[in-house]
Amino acid sequence: MDDLFVRVITKMILPFIQLYGVYVIIHGHLSPGGGFSGGAIFAASIVLYTLAFGLKPGQKRMPHKVSSKIETGGIIFFILVGFAGIATGYNFLTNQEAGFPMGELGSVFSAGLIPIVTIAIGLKVMSTIITLFHTMLEEEG
Amino acid sequence: MSNIHFPVYILMLLLIFAVTIPLQRKSYGRRFQILMVSVLGIAWIMALLELLMVLWDAPYSYTFGSYPAGIGIEFLVDEFSALMTLIVLTLSLLIIIYSLKDLEHEIESSRMYSYYTLVFLLIFSMIGMIFTNDMFNLYVFMEILSITSVAIIAIKKKKDTLMASMKYLMMGAIGSVTVLMGIALIYMVTGQLNMSAINEEISAVWRLYPRNILLAMGFMITGFSIKAAIFPLHNWLPDAHSTAPTPSSALLSGLVVKAYIFSIAKIMYRVVGKNISVDIGIADYLIIFAVLSMMMGSVFALTQRDIKRRLAYSSVSQIGYIFLGLALASEMGFSAALFHVVSHAFMKSALFLSAGSIIYLTGKRDVKNLDGIGYEMPITMTVFSIGVLGMIGIPGTSGFMSKWYLGLAVLDAGHPELLIVLLLSSFLNALYYLPIIVSAFLRESPGRPLEMHRDGIPGTMKVSMVLVAVGSLVIGLFPHLVMDIIQQAVPTFIGSGMGL
Amino acid sequence: MNFDLSTIANNINYIGAMILFIIGLYTVLTHSNLIKKIIGINIMETSIFLFFVSIGYVKGAVAPIIDPSTGDKVFVNPLPAAMILTGIVVAVSITAFALSIIIKIHEAYGTIDLDEIMKIRSVEEDE
Repeated sequence: MDDLFVRVITKMILPFIQLYGVYVIIHGHLSPGGGFSGGAIFAASIVLYTLAFGLKPGQKRMPHKVSSKIETGGIIFFILVGFAGIATGYNFLTNQEAGFPMGELGSVFSAGLIPIVTIAIGLKVMSTIITLFHTMLEEEG
Repeated sequence: MSNIHFPVYILMLLLIFAVTIPLQRKSYGRRFQILMVSVLGIAWIMALLELLMVLWDAPYSYTFGSYPAGIGIEFLVDEFSALMTLIVLTLSLLIIIYSLKDLEHEIESSRMYSYYTLVFLLIFSMIGMIFTNDMFNLYVFMEILSITSVAIIAIKKKKDTLMASMKYLMMGAIGSVTVLMGIALIYMVTGQLNMSAINEEISAVWRLYPRNILLAMGFMITGFSIKAAIFPLHNWLPDAHSTAPTPSSALLSGLVVKAYIFSIAKIMYRVVGKNISVDIGIADYLIIFAVLSMMMGSVFALTQRDIKRRLAYSSVSQIGYIFLGLALASEMGFSAALFHVVSHAFMKSALFLSAGSIIYLTGKRDVKNLDGIGYEMPITMTVFSIGVLGMIGIPGTSGFMSKWYLGLAVLDAGHPELLIVLLLSSFLNALYYLPIIVSAFLRESPGRPLEMHRDGIPGTMKVSMVLVAVGSLVIGLFPHLVMDIIQQAVPTFIGSGMGL
Repeated sequence: MNFDLSTIANNINYIGAMILFIIGLYTVLTHSNLIKKIIGINIMETSIFLFFVSIGYVKGAVAPIIDPSTGDKVFVNPLPAAMILTGIVVAVSITAFALSIIIKIHEAYGTIDLDEIMKIRSVEEDE
């Protein structure tokens, strides 16, 4: 789209959308949301950028190489965090007995491995949605 | 070297390898093939050790996160899960070795990496579906299996393949949604998601909510039947399995459809319990559909001329056999059904792999054009013949043993008229399989002189086909290897929770 | 069964979910445009999510977010909501995959109407 209004407003509002997405991801264990919704909100900002400025600038923002590495890194990080439970003698994905700090109820750094895993999920969902969008747009041209 | 974490190790190894495939920088080549086969080999060794461990010690349950079973997700590792995992990994290993050379003719080389990512995710989700003891975990693994099994068909971009995969995806999505409705109805009544806990709850509250449980079972069995291709919901299967690349057809027909039947078995016997299933009347009702599947699958196969379509319709008929064994609701029937799951996996894979070799070498798919091909490709046709003899039920093959067990179970459950159906269906199987072998070995055709050649196909394809056929023969000549494990597993499967 | 209005008003969630399920199934089966079929599957999945979430509702309870300052309250069951998040992701994946296959079908056949595709295929088979 070549509209001037859309481009100016997108540039102004983009950081706020991303900040909101990061907020939803980090507070996944305290309020509704979590990995999926936060990742989708964060991805919506890059999709908005692609829609306003065209496919090439959008792909420069999040190139294919970076997004594929984030996807793989997210899953491997999740699995390694799960293996920490096996390393200490309990089962896979153990939370409290494996030594993750639990913290106090209601603060951000609490509940053991849940915020760590939520961040991995959020990154992965974000990169997946952006890759899907860019791939579908590429097929047209 | 026994370790209780083996299920997790197998699953995570497959998953980690599947997601690191897209990061490979070099183009597809020899190094990647060796790496892939060795990863599968390590997973196979772990599954073998797992089976031996369960046979020597006792079955155990593995809870994720060390949460107690009602709260967290639980994997129930018993004899049959370990055996099915070993069979899945064995057949996948052989089919992937076959596909190393065969796929170059079928899909473009830029998609090879994506294909193997999808195959590894498919194996991962099948093993997860076999092990799990939690209803919603079953749904999640089923969705991964559904999407990847459509993707390995659609990766071959021809026109027929696209329409077939679209049909499969639509019907698969309807099936998944129906299953989820059934899970919601059961959760509404019992409030639990763990299969053993649901069993205890249902036996307590069944008298209060009979209609609800009947509706839930109806939804779930319908949903799984759409994906397992029971007549009359089988329309997607011939198109999908015949237009797919050969390794995908072998994987789909041999393994994927069986995972859904195993889930129907889990729901009928582990979740709801055998007594309630028989009381509601679902067991008798399912016998009708099983018989229809057996007969109509064979009748349709008679009219097909494309060899892969004929094999696909034959799959519909064989799945009817397995479903008949399940619907009898007895221990003998269930053991016969599980034995046929194992033996049909080997036989159908042998048939599809050899049909794929014929198409690889000659490019001909019509049954009329296969005269005299037994002399041009003797090893391939021998493998095909072993599969055919097993399908018909000649003594000495695994197909005969499974028909024998099924016949005994039918007589034991008090339905002697089904024995006639079994014999009739074997006769129909012979009607459409034997002409292929006869014309391959005994007829001449102008383009092919009757002299023995060596097969002109690559060595990896030959080795994997022969190993699958040898596996089928071994199970046929020594059925007690598999049957003992099944008979050890069945009483705990059926009798769990109802105080039997 | 007595069909008075209070039964319907109390269970309106479940009745609505079932009606949406049937509408979705009808759309998938009868419309010939491929994209409408995908919308039909989305409607079916939405109806299941509605059904699931309304199972967890407890009358007179608050949202399941713990606030350490106030005391113990009766909370709505949070488990169905967590399951529905996973279900929504599954629905999005199926929709995305089906849409990419439709893009390829459009390239190959030139149309996305199922009746016309069947006509083209029967013409091709006769050749």
